[in-house]
Amino acid sequence: MTSKTLTLLVAAFFAIIVVIVFQQIHTSMHEQGIASGGPYDNAAAYPRAIAIIISGLVLLQVLMELVSGSRERIPLSPASLKRAVGLLVVFAIYLGCLGWLGYHLTTSPMVFAVMYICGARQIGKMLVAALAMSFGFAFVFERFLNVVLPGGVFNLNIPW
Amino acid sequence: MLFESLVAGFQLFLTPMAIGLTFVGILIGLLVGAMPGLGPLMGIILLLPVAIGLPPLAAMGFLIAIFVGGSCGGSISAILLRIPGTPLAAATLFDGYPMAQKGRAADAIGIAISASAIGGLIGGVVLIVASPLLAKFASGFAPPEYAMLAITGLFAIAIISGGSLVKGLISGCFGLLLATIGTDEFSTGYRFTFDSHHMLNGFHIVAVVVGLFAISEMVHQIAGNGLLKKPDINVERPGFGSLFKTLRHWVNLLRSSGIGVFFGALPGAGGVISSFTSYAIAKAAAKPEERYGEGAEGGIVATESANNATVGGTLVPSLALGIPGDASSAMLLGALLILGFVPGPILFEQQPEFVGGIFLVYMASNIFLLIAGILATPFFVYVLRIPKFYLIPVILILCSIGTFALQASVFDLMVMFGFGLVGILFRAANFPLAPIVIGIILGPILESNLRRALLISREGYWIFVDRPVSATLVAVNVLLVIGALVYAYRKRHKLFSRAEEA
Amino acid sequence: MTLKKLVKSIAATAAIVAATTSTSLAEFPERTIELIHPWGPGNAMSVSQLIAKAMGEELGVDMPVISTPGAAGTKGQKTAMSRPADGYTVFDGYVAPLVLQPILGNADWTYSDYKPLHAAVSNAFAIGGRVDETRWSNFEEMMEYGREHPGELRYSSGSRNNLPHMVIAKVLQSYGVVAQNVPYTQDGNAVKDLKSGVLDFSFINVGNYIQDKSAFNIMLVLSELPGAKASYDGAPSIADLDIDLGLSGLAPMGWTWWIIHKDTPDEVTDKLRTAMAAAMKREDVRAAIEKVGFVPLDWDHTEYDAVVGPVLDQLSAMGNALKWEEEELKKLN
Repeated sequence: MTSKTLTLLVAAFFAIIVVIVFQQIHTSMHEQGIASGGPYDNAAAYPRAIAIIISGLVLLQVLMELVSGSRERIPLSPASLKRAVGLLVVFAIYLGCLGWLGYHLTTSPMVFAVMYICGARQIGKMLVAALAMSFGFAFVFERFLNVVLPGGVFNLNIPW
Repeated sequence: MLFESLVAGFQLFLTPMAIGLTFVGILIGLLVGAMPGLGPLMGIILLLPVAIGLPPLAAMGFLIAIFVGGSCGGSISAILLRIPGTPLAAATLFDGYPMAQKGRAADAIGIAISASAIGGLIGGVVLIVASPLLAKFASGFAPPEYAMLAITGLFAIAIISGGSLVKGLISGCFGLLLATIGTDEFSTGYRFTFDSHHMLNGFHIVAVVVGLFAISEMVHQIAGNGLLKKPDINVERPGFGSLFKTLRHWVNLLRSSGIGVFFGALPGAGGVISSFTSYAIAKAAAKPEERYGEGAEGGIVATESANNATVGGTLVPSLALGIPGDASSAMLLGALLILGFVPGPILFEQQPEFVGGIFLVYMASNIFLLIAGILATPFFVYVLRIPKFYLIPVILILCSIGTFALQASVFDLMVMFGFGLVGILFRAANFPLAPIVIGIILGPILESNLRRALLISREGYWIFVDRPVSATLVAVNVLLVIGALVYAYRKRHKLFSRAEEA
Repeated sequence: MTLKKLVKSIAATAAIVAATTSTSLAEFPERTIELIHPWGPGNAMSVSQLIAKAMGEELGVDMPVISTPGAAGTKGQKTAMSRPADGYTVFDGYVAPLVLQPILGNADWTYSDYKPLHAAVSNAFAIGGRVDETRWSNFEEMMEYGREHPGELRYSSGSRNNLPHMVIAKVLQSYGVVAQNVPYTQDGNAVKDLKSGVLDFSFINVGNYIQDKSAFNIMLVLSELPGAKASYDGAPSIADLDIDLGLSGLAPMGWTWWIIHKDTPDEVTDKLRTAMAAAMKREDVRAAIEKVGFVPLDWDHTEYDAVVGPVLDQLSAMGNALKWEEEELKKLN
């Protein structure tokens, strides 16, 4: 991957954002009647202006990088990439299940999986650490900070 | 008035909770500062969900202490590991590591901590004297002035903060745009909410920043090497004697703290610039036999006193005007707003006791920094030995529970994850993340005051030049733009390069 | 560690967790009850925290107040009512989301869709100006000035389309005065801009007034209740006006009635009602509420329809005041 590819990716990201801004102004905001008029009623003028400024700046950045022609290669080993993607996948599954299965059933497996991705293989030690971290945080947050952690479909909440 | 607010602040401060949490904040701050990749901003972000459930002054004491401790903690790893825990401590490396190699690691840490605490206290004196004056001056400010001030803050951050100007501006504008999501208070219409009640108030700022900074940092760390490695370092025990060694450099201390306060109060500049600047000046002013770069005490004194004095400086415009000086103080402002306090002249008028309390927790955290830093250094050295594969899941749990705890919402967790992906993309493409936070904080100030000014005005945009202060700020903004263009023309080859930090 | 051992230890942990956790079959309440508050932190939230703390003490559990501001309070109400109907979520039912927003067409519920616990507090608003104002000295004179200079006056009701805005618009409509409302997120900023001369008049709540009495000329208290007049040290109220606005009782005021989901089991509802009634009767709670300038309310759940019903009728009847103001402003521009 080169720095130019990454800049183009960011440009694509902002292109989507700017399209969403204009699409929303012309549909939702227009229907609500807040896309025209003076400062009291016109909620669209300001985000439209920002979106236009962003487009201009992103265009400038892309043009300058194309003109300068520098292609810096960013070294990325397959192993690193695998770990990073693995972490994101595990974390996404964790967040997806958190509301459904509850905190207590999901957190220790997540911790365990993350340690595994990092390369740790001492199962016993990892298990103890995963349980300690998960219940330790639950205790502090629920007992001292009055947070009600997600109980999930089984309503698992520990009355500390 | 100043005296009264401090006395009243004492009553708020003198609770076991406020004092205790300020102390805990220092320990956490030193910890996040020392751990490579975290730093004061990350510490504030990670602990903000905890803080907003606490009594207001205890919460601010906790967060400010993390800011103060985090601005110093980086020096520990710079000296022992030759890795600055935060960019703030990068200049501390120049003399800190050579000192450690000569067997004076304990002295180096002791001096770094003493210099930080004294620099922080000097910054605090400026904060206590200057911010009420600035607030008083700003009490006549109306919507046109605030709109112009917000623009000045944004420009200054994009221009001064170093790195690519265009990328900084893009990030800042992205923050402004994010701030428009939700219910528009003027038209009462909904913007970018996609008919979801979760979006009626926009994304929660904590969910956004946790994703942008913490999640992307964890992905960055796991992609790195040495996840299982225990760094091999010796336990060092600095003593209070280093305080006297530090005080011998009093000229350097005063000068560097002054530089730190100045850069702190200037929106956009911050700890990194001030520590490098004061190091350069200290080196130029030193005698050749002091041997800067080979383990000179003065080098550590200069950088560490400057970067902690910056904290006091940053709080001046943050508290008095509600305009943040950098990303960390932007998060402190975010916390203040969530706790129900609106920074600015009104805070000084209506809740002087709370302002006094903030001054006191700031001063106290610097004193605690000296005590805790010197006594607890062996503990931090121990923590630095913990391999990363323990650290990463701990931070991921903290991110998840913290974000969930904000409003018991699973949606916020999705927001956090989404912004984690955005953060990874921005980091990879070398777009700075800090201006996004500034944009989110300044966005509502800019838009609402702009529109409010136009509503109040009976002659359209002329209101911005009719009022003297507003007109001055317009002129400053125009000068900043011209300055940026000239700078861009002169350094056009550098402007679009990937280099971010000086 | 072998796989067998691993499975065993997981099973053992699961057993411990199962033994220490309890299901919803247990006696209510067994965990923290959350009060969803529809505004940002401020006086109103402090008052709700006072009551929630006392109510939590009655129930023997903590009762944190979760601030969920947005969309004139409807975000909080939607959030609270999307939670399970198990009594662990209570909504701080302020008049704006509960009654006013449905009238304005911004929400699709009515007050009778919920189970009331107990009335909490009310607070009265006033219209205030500067003490050193030279163009007028009382409300009638200001209205005269406003009639002669249509669209000239600038005022703030805090946010747009909130209860004070509706009441002020109604008053202005009755006098045929068109003025521009300037929304502010923080009441403090509106008051500051009133003092510095940027605004001509503003809505003032009791809290603002108590903080700096000498700074304001309270021209009109927006309530005909004698208690409200007294909190503004006897300033003229809408009862003293020559015209009848058709507003009485709670209608022109801010108030909140704590509510829960309709499907909440009856025995849970009863427990919550008993606890809140007991909390509202406590002298320490009432004194603390009054110190902030709010008025503790005594109605229990049986009086919900009788009290809220007329408010709905009166607010519905003045629904066109806001529309009228918008249209008149558009004509001038």
